[in-house]
Amino acid sequence: MSDLLSMTWVELLKSIRSRMPLWTALGCLFMPLGIAFLIFVSRNPEISLQLGLVSAKANLMAFTGTDWPTYLGVYGQIIGAGGLILFILILSWVFGREFTDGTVKDLLAVPVQRGSIVLAKYIVAAIWCEAMVLVIFGAGLVMGALLKLPGGAPSVFLEGCALVIKVSILVLAVVTPFALLASMGRGYLLPIGVAILLMILMNLIQILGWAEYLPWAMPVIYAQGKEALTPVSFWIVYLTGLLGILGTYFWWKYADQNR
Amino acid sequence: MNLAIETKDLGKHYGDVRAVEHLSLQVGEGEIYAFLGLNGAGKTTTIRMLLGMIKPTTGTADVLQTRVRIGNREPWDSVGYLVEMPHSYPELTVRENLEVTRRLHPGTPRESISRIIDRLGLSVYADRRSGTLSQGNAQRLGLAKAMLHNPRLLFLDEPANGLDPAGIVEIREYLLELTREQGVTVFMSSHILAEVSRLAQRIGIIHEGRLLQELNIDELERNRRRRLLIRMRDVESAQQALKASGQPVEILEDGTLELVNNSAVDRPDDINSLLVSAGTPPTHLVVEEEELEQYFLRLVGMEGGTVHE
Repeated sequence: MSDLLSMTWVELLKSIRSRMPLWTALGCLFMPLGIAFLIFVSRNPEISLQLGLVSAKANLMAFTGTDWPTYLGVYGQIIGAGGLILFILILSWVFGREFTDGTVKDLLAVPVQRGSIVLAKYIVAAIWCEAMVLVIFGAGLVMGALLKLPGGAPSVFLEGCALVIKVSILVLAVVTPFALLASMGRGYLLPIGVAILLMILMNLIQILGWAEYLPWAMPVIYAQGKEALTPVSFWIVYLTGLLGILGTYFWWKYADQNR
Repeated sequence: MNLAIETKDLGKHYGDVRAVEHLSLQVGEGEIYAFLGLNGAGKTTTIRMLLGMIKPTTGTADVLQTRVRIGNREPWDSVGYLVEMPHSYPELTVRENLEVTRRLHPGTPRESISRIIDRLGLSVYADRRSGTLSQGNAQRLGLAKAMLHNPRLLFLDEPANGLDPAGIVEIREYLLELTREQGVTVFMSSHILAEVSRLAQRIGIIHEGRLLQELNIDELERNRRRRLLIRMRDVESAQQALKASGQPVEILEDGTLELVNNSAVDRPDDINSLLVSAGTPPTHLVVEEEELEQYFLRLVGMEGGTVHE
């Protein structure tokens, strides 16, 4: 346990000092700012007309921004789709940087279990991901308040908050195999390449109507409405998470490390 | 003598490629063992197998009397290593990088960081980000990480890499001090052969994955090829006089005579007298000993930088 705490401290130090969390947080702010901008434009048709192309999208957004329940529902979907990409990037960095920077060899012949090192990386990646969710959702709440959205009630906020947390946990579960990809690919390239392929695949599978069996599509389906998912869907999500962690652990423990 | 490292028939195959084959070597505790080989000879693969980073295809390896098994935590609390390039986390300072290493070796006191920073001359750079260090200082940081927890066994891949001449001497003295005073074992690979001959007590020569020869430094002295080189004004008369006395002679490109017979190399004064009597006194006479570098190239069949079949 002390090894795990110590390794978690090490991973936190490496992440914070890299300033990557700061950059990802700044990047995350674009999402709530963008939504707020679209709502603002849709409410002010005179600006909408001057902006040409944007006005079409703002018209689409107009109904979503009308009240708090729908606005918070959008955040669930943002975490389900945008969060998926964000979490993959974070996990790829936490694991892949050891290979890109050539530091992985310093973690191998040490009197600390490799399992503790892998778990510490997952813990720090999870903390980082959830912190980014907090940044996105927190900024979303501030924007919603500034836009004076109607329909705000404590129960609405609690429900919106619970949805975002649940969706983010589902995303965390389905991204765990990307740590394995970053390790096997010895860098960021493989997981990011697979993520791009996955986006294409998700669109295709959605058209075919099998999205509820594709783990990476499930968080966003859940955010759109729980009834679309069956218990089997949730088992697929949990199993993906478990297999991702176990796969990464066994790879770190047993694979040849010749770089 | 206890063995710090023992391998039996150690081998690593990648499909048909035999990176290391039938490697059986023994390194005693407190010894400095140098592992010599050309690029791709199998040095780093061997070190990685000894460190449990790569699974051997054949054979076994014991380090500090513990069987090396991939992913195990023993015996690494007593082992320090610097494999290939001295990588570190570029965004962390020298001190923070060492703190990471300290936490990877539970039980290492916090004061060890300041001690090793002072010992390896990194005090000025202690709070500087490691990504900004020069190659030499990055190497010092790599060595500091290897030595931080006072290991009994050090694996050092090219320890003198990137160091200036003063740094090379400093690290050599430090390694000798560690072996003399603390009984630390050093298993090093190097291509700076002059450095190896000054530091190592035993040398293992690996070529194309196989251990060609293992020898003590005094055996190396005995095995080195020696030759007597003589220059004189009348080469032909000298050659005839030497041949008449039963000495096989070679004429080098620049007209220098080369004698390799022990009777000539051991008693150059006799050869001098012979040539003086023959009326062709030498203008230059010297016994030349083969450098470790030449010895090594001769052994791996690459004399003069090209492969000799």
